[in-house]
Amino acid sequence: MNQTIVKKKIGRSFILLLKIVVAVIMFSPIIWVFSGSFKGINEFTTSSNIIPAKATLENFAYIFKNSNYLVYVRNTVLLMAGTTAGTLLSSALVAYPLARMNFTGKNVIFAIIVGTMMIPNIALIIPQYIMFGKIGWLDSLLPMIVPAFFAYPYNVFLFRQFFRSIPKELDEAATIDGCSKIGVFFKVLVPLSKPTFVTIGVLSCVFWWNELTQPVFYINSDQWRTLTIALMTTFMYTAGNAFVINWPSIMAASTLMIIPPMLLYLFGSKFLVEGIKTSGLKG
Amino acid sequence: MNEVNEQTSVRKKQLRNNLTAYAFCAPWMIGFVFFTLFPIGFMFAVSLTNRKLNGISDFIGFANYRNLLQSETFWNSFQVTIFFTIIMMIVTTIWAVIMAMLLNYKQKLNGIFQFCYFLPSVIPTVALAYAFRTIFGKEAGLLNAIITSISGKNANVNWLYDSHTVYFAVFFITLFTYNTGQMMLTFRSGLNDVPRELYEACDIDGASAFRKFRNVTLPMISPIVLFNSVMGCISALNGSFALLYPLTGESGDPNGMTQVLSLLIYKEAFSNMKVGYACALSVVLFLIACMFGIGIFAVSKRMVYYEN
Repeated sequence: MNQTIVKKKIGRSFILLLKIVVAVIMFSPIIWVFSGSFKGINEFTTSSNIIPAKATLENFAYIFKNSNYLVYVRNTVLLMAGTTAGTLLSSALVAYPLARMNFTGKNVIFAIIVGTMMIPNIALIIPQYIMFGKIGWLDSLLPMIVPAFFAYPYNVFLFRQFFRSIPKELDEAATIDGCSKIGVFFKVLVPLSKPTFVTIGVLSCVFWWNELTQPVFYINSDQWRTLTIALMTTFMYTAGNAFVINWPSIMAASTLMIIPPMLLYLFGSKFLVEGIKTSGLKG
Repeated sequence: MNEVNEQTSVRKKQLRNNLTAYAFCAPWMIGFVFFTLFPIGFMFAVSLTNRKLNGISDFIGFANYRNLLQSETFWNSFQVTIFFTIIMMIVTTIWAVIMAMLLNYKQKLNGIFQFCYFLPSVIPTVALAYAFRTIFGKEAGLLNAIITSISGKNANVNWLYDSHTVYFAVFFITLFTYNTGQMMLTFRSGLNDVPRELYEACDIDGASAFRKFRNVTLPMISPIVLFNSVMGCISALNGSFALLYPLTGESGDPNGMTQVLSLLIYKEAFSNMKVGYACALSVVLFLIACMFGIGIFAVSKRMVYYEN
């Protein structure tokens, strides 16, 4: 009897040890970025110690002094706000009849929506680039914000699944009370699915905060740079020497970009974790 | 007379109903036509021209496709794309299952563990790429330092630029992407939903831990595995650009070993300014995505267990 208890204890500690090892592996890049942002450039290129020998804030000062950092923040916030507002409004509207109404062609529409979810964005970005160039939208945030107002298939899909979980009797009661379809949508479904809006909104913000591909294709000038492109280009080289990569400044800029998602996890993990979980489960 | 009236009123009602539904769907329909359908057609059209970045173009028939089929760079890129997508799908899925099973084993501090496991997946891939460019770096890189201190020998490997180690390095980095974190969370709840009685039955039969996993856990979570592999596939095709562009550059160093098609498209369009050719490459990428989609659904029909 005693032996099985000992065996169990050893098993438990072994699993705990594994957990710690995985945690160290997964968190090491973040620690590395944080520590690197406080190192001087000489220390960064010669030492791989985690604790900086001489911690300095000059990298953060460098970023704010040598780039239009606040402009990049403004652009990223504009991008996040525009796309999120657009996709919440349009995707919810489109999802409503798919979840709640019977109409001719419903299955066809739904099949196309699921099908377009499978097309990677990057395959269509060159023709879209030419298109947006023709209407003069290049080098602005418009190629990313405007399409958001025309419903992303993936978000439509998520809204549909959420709407279907709301009891249909509520719609019927509202209809008997004289509500139109639009009334049902705004007075019944929207108030009941506030958490859904928050969840999809959070996911959309996280996505656009981290998005690199589309800004790289569409944006050229400094005045519309987002934080992700700035991280790739602006802080790359030390002033006066184009061949030395200014790693500590890149690490400092990365630190600033990691902090918001981190705070979001710490204070809004309910929305972030639950949202990502449900968006992955709605198969 | 009355009956006919009733019929027309039913029909009228249905028509109104349909029109309301279409009105709600209008944003998507407009978006679908302008941002998906039209670009697809336009992409085929431009791929038949020698369009340059400055807009000058002539119709050249299938010359782009002929050049592409004869190009070594293209075939390399084609193979890298398929290799990268499939291996990334497998590696990240396995890693996500391992993390989910560890986290589902009830112990103290699980909240902190989940924080550590999950946070990397919601930070920008650029930040991740730069972190790993320095961690895997030759001088003052973290990995070389760790190996040196463990083995006592001086490790001096340039992990991302050495053709022997680059794939190890790149696939290791994919463990930190959004897709892995999302899969981990979904597997966690999927694993929680597996009925306890099934495990108890196994215990009575004296089944080993591996057999329990193979015969109970895996079939029960297979629908989630399917959904996640579809999403993983798209995100591998789509997200490889955001990860590899800051990591190994548009040429996919070393020697194009990591040059997936999206990087080649970017390079041809913006560095070589051959937009027509880039469109032909996009067509190929589009077809690859379609093939992966069809393939996954074909496999799923045979292998996935659905409760209902």
